[in-house]
Amino acid sequence: MTVMEHLQALAGGIGTTVTLTLAAFGVGAVAGFPLALARRSSQWWLRLPALAVIEVLRAIPPLVWLFIVFYVIGADFPLMTPFQAAVAGLGLIAAAYLAEIYRAGLDAVPDGQWEAASATGIGTLTTYRKVVLPQAALIVVPPAATYLIALLKDSAVASVVGTTDITFLAFQEARVTLEGFEVFVIAAALYLALSAPVALVARTADRLISRRLGL
Amino acid sequence: MNHPPQPLLEASDICIAYGGHQVVHDVSLAVAPGEVISLIGPSGAGKSSFLRSINWLEPPCSGTLTFDGSTFRGLRDGGVSKRQLQGLRRSIGMVFQQFNLFPHLSALENVVLAQVHALGRSKAEARERALQELHHVGLGEVTDKLPSKCSGGQQQRIAIARALALDPQVMLFDEPTSALDPEYAMDVLVTMRRLADEGMTMLVVTHEMHFAAEVADRVVFMAEGRVVEEGPAAALIRDPQHERTQKFLAAVKGR
Ligand SMILES: Nc1ncnc2c1ncn2[C@@H]1O[C@H](COP(=O)(O)OP(=O)(O)O)[C@@H](O)[C@H]1O
Ligand SMILES: [Mg+2]
Repeated sequence: MTVMEHLQALAGGIGTTVTLTLAAFGVGAVAGFPLALARRSSQWWLRLPALAVIEVLRAIPPLVWLFIVFYVIGADFPLMTPFQAAVAGLGLIAAAYLAEIYRAGLDAVPDGQWEAASATGIGTLTTYRKVVLPQAALIVVPPAATYLIALLKDSAVASVVGTTDITFLAFQEARVTLEGFEVFVIAAALYLALSAPVALVARTADRLISRRLGL
Repeated sequence: MNHPPQPLLEASDICIAYGGHQVVHDVSLAVAPGEVISLIGPSGAGKSSFLRSINWLEPPCSGTLTFDGSTFRGLRDGGVSKRQLQGLRRSIGMVFQQFNLFPHLSALENVVLAQVHALGRSKAEARERALQELHHVGLGEVTDKLPSKCSGGQQQRIAIARALALDPQVMLFDEPTSALDPEYAMDVLVTMRRLADEGMTMLVVTHEMHFAAEVADRVVFMAEGRVVEEGPAAALIRDPQHERTQKFLAAVKGR
């Protein structure tokens, strides 16, 4: 078998890997935000549950967590496809990690910014929207991009619950052709190629932050 | 007969504590309209805490503040509502030692923001006013620059313009020149002196004794959370009565 033939066999998984990663990241990016706010709340009944959820989701290995989602939760939703289960499972883990990244970003905005905003009499909501979030958003981009790359790699675990991503197809191709080494090197190259542009975004954002915020 | 003017702002028996540790004890101060008061004293005296209690950035644990016909009570005596607070803060401008400009916004946008979101001015009106205030503090040329591209002296003057654009009745300054090189500090002091000449009511925490002596009407000397001595600015600085004040002024002048 040639490299081209292996590549063709795996190519069908690229779309799945990318959509799975982006969908899970999207779920995490949205769900992580209220989680981060709750985590920073001065009210213990918001802060402690948020802390528990974040720590639990980060402590369970993604593989184990995915099985739990697929078998336990999947039993209640029999129509859930492996792909949907993987998006839900990885999305929740992403929410926990991104919540911590958001929290660090919000914490990085100096107290003086809050003081200056409240001293001018603008409300809390406007302070978040116009002062704190624009700064936190810039600070958050590099670690969030780094996490996106980690998530891209973690998405490979979705293959064990039957999501036909790059790794799933690589297993198949290796079994059929008995050329496991070549196949998995090609799979590795595909993951590398997908993560390169994200790494570039992280670099650029880093430069932008030091220019804009003088940090 | 000359009646003393009705105070614009009156702080009575202000106490401030951090985590149960009291750092300001029963400080009272009445400020007449147009008056310029310098708060001086050693570091840790509670000057910043007291100044910040006036716009409730540091809510006092007890005591009251009367401003513009409203009374604000310290935490133990009932506290204040959010709505009351926003009203108070919109009428009182504050300038910080570290400027605290919004780093992601240009000089102009820094001055526009609260005009739109606190006072409800239109964007166009706020821009117009912002340009006017930036010119007023001598910064017509930096309107589109980010704060990080401006000198410290320019940044502090942008911060002054940001506060002035809200038409404050009182301006609070917390060591506005302490983070600046002397040449830049001078620009800021000149701006403040002009503001005083224009009749702005000002409370200024400062270590600049020349400024205190020449610009302020009254000087309040604080130490260990209490007012030790107060009086007409030039006289108090030239001829302090309390030993504690004498020692402090000797040390500051000796530098
Ligand atoms: N946020 C805070 N938390 C705890 N202690 C504080 C805080 N701010 C000030 N203090 C303490 O209160 C005292 C008075 O501080 P401050 O008002 O900053 O004095 P000054 O401005 O005269 O130097 C100091 O002992 C200081 O350590
Ligand atoms: Mg201070």
